[in-house]
Amino acid sequence: MSAIPSSAAQAQSWRERLAGVAGFRIESLFVLAALAATMAILSPYFLSVSNFLNIVLATSVIGVLAIGMTFVISSAGIDLSVGSMLALSGVAGCILTAQFNLPWPVGIVACIGAGALAGLANGFFITKGAIPPFIVTLGMLGVARGLALVLTNGLPIYGLPAPIVFLGQGRPLGVPTPVIVLLLTALAAHVLLVHTRFGLYAQVIGDSEVAARAMGVRVERHKVMLYALSGALAGLAGLLFAARVNAGDPTAGTSYELTAITATIIGGTNLFGGRGSVVGTVIGALIMGVLQNGLNLLAVPSFYQQMAIGAVLVLAVWLDRISSAEGRRQ
Amino acid sequence: MLKHIIAGASIVALTLGLAASVSAADAPVYGVLMKTLSNPFWGAMEQGVRQGAKNAGVEYFLQAVESDQAAEPQLNTCNTMLERKPAVMITAAINSTILLPCLKHANEMKIPVVDLDGNLDPEITKKAGVDVAFHIGSDNEAAGAKGADYLAETVGKDAKGPVLVIEGLSGNITGQKRARGFAAELKKVAPGLAIVASLPGDWDSLKAANITNDTLQRNPDLVAIFCANDDMALGAVEAARAAGKDKLTVIGVDGNSNAVKSIVAGRLNASVAQLPYLVGMQAVENAKKVLAGEKVPEFTYVPTLVLTKAVLEEKKEPMLQYVK
Repeated sequence: MSAIPSSAAQAQSWRERLAGVAGFRIESLFVLAALAATMAILSPYFLSVSNFLNIVLATSVIGVLAIGMTFVISSAGIDLSVGSMLALSGVAGCILTAQFNLPWPVGIVACIGAGALAGLANGFFITKGAIPPFIVTLGMLGVARGLALVLTNGLPIYGLPAPIVFLGQGRPLGVPTPVIVLLLTALAAHVLLVHTRFGLYAQVIGDSEVAARAMGVRVERHKVMLYALSGALAGLAGLLFAARVNAGDPTAGTSYELTAITATIIGGTNLFGGRGSVVGTVIGALIMGVLQNGLNLLAVPSFYQQMAIGAVLVLAVWLDRISSAEGRRQ
Repeated sequence: MLKHIIAGASIVALTLGLAASVSAADAPVYGVLMKTLSNPFWGAMEQGVRQGAKNAGVEYFLQAVESDQAAEPQLNTCNTMLERKPAVMITAAINSTILLPCLKHANEMKIPVVDLDGNLDPEITKKAGVDVAFHIGSDNEAAGAKGADYLAETVGKDAKGPVLVIEGLSGNITGQKRARGFAAELKKVAPGLAIVASLPGDWDSLKAANITNDTLQRNPDLVAIFCANDDMALGAVEAARAAGKDKLTVIGVDGNSNAVKSIVAGRLNASVAQLPYLVGMQAVENAKKVLAGEKVPEFTYVPTLVLTKAVLEEKKEPMLQYVK
């Protein structure tokens, strides 16, 4: 598949075999390991099961967003509206359950449904209107955020039904529920991207729309589904966010789209489409989670945190590119 | 062709609709420029402005920008508001310098300028040649200090242990003052309590929740968390509860409606209410006095009130009427 550069396809190295199975480049795992090792040396509190769960918990919302982003970017698209759709979805679920006292399953359906609807609208305008996804989703970034603010009059809605709070704060068998949700989502998305036509077509569209059409892929319909998926996952992330803080916040997720895109790119998904990896994206999100966690454990003051995060992001992608270039030369 | 006409027509209709929703008022009115309305603090301030205008019997028009970081858009909005020639400009500047060109212009137009929420720095305004009629707001350092006093009362002056401070957005003066005031007072009233980390929560409840979890890894014996606003405090208290740390004392600042709900529900321990409602109300009332040629104090600090479960349930505190 396109995850393997054709020039190196003759001899299957272990690198490529791993990449073939999980669809990601092993190098991003090295970056994660190096970062984790650094943090473990610097802070005695880093290496523990509870801190590991804590990192994955902190990564859950961004992780779910970035998984949706992976599908969209694989198809050479972009979704700038995920942060706003997250807020709109969380608010929708909270209004129905906390203000209208509807049962909690309605809240869950409303969160994911609101996101999916907003994503469908994105897909509709991108395909039917032939407007670049950057513009359409930038528009949705404003519309969805504005709608969330209008619906709540700008104020967070506090207090959710206990089963939804459990989704954010519960710990079945000691594992925080959002961690389980992230892992299940990642598993399903991985299968969808690597082992189904849906995922394969997304990457083919990203590689060449002309080729995709020649193969008989219904490109427009497929794109609408991809943006709807991204919206639905933003809705799921909105549900997790609201459940974790027990409130529907119309300002939730501001600028999260950039973090989600960053996690996706660090994970090895090609910014210009054609190649994507859910496993890589989760690793990318974890790289950022480990960094933030380490900086907090070390109690690094805020101005230095911003510098460190910016520098490590560029370094991570750079190291990844260097080592993958070496891999090709072998 | 038809598509073009439809697209053009819808743009015109949208513009007209927006224009119609902003009713044109020719009578002299007060101009109020806020940071944002997407935040309970500013929502309460707006209610106060409304009540103050009612009390004073004056008309006003209020504008705000999309977020409390949209500095340049706020300057543009300020300039646009001057086009309507308001009787007075009551402004809550996003930072101490951004609005100065606009306020200087207001001075030239003989429109008095009011510093709402104390975001202007008197030294800088003097240097820029901007004349401010009066400053009104909350003392953020005092609010932080009250949080420390409450903590010392709750856990005892001789208590020992680690304390976490969650700051606001990096570089935001309000959050810095609150955190600074808390730290300085805590040293005095409970020297045994040590601030082990002071981290940026960026006003984001989820970030505050993550910081709480991270710090609990390092300091499982954490005694208290002070957050520079209520949204972050609500995130922190939910994270602490989820981690099974029910005895942790969590304190926020603002006294917003969600914090009140959480305190009554026995989750959040306390919030230092800043009474933005009172700030907004007095700002308009004092502005009327300035226009009538009366003298008002150059600096007015509206008092703060520590909200706890007991205070909220007894309902005896007269200041509670200003908690919105």
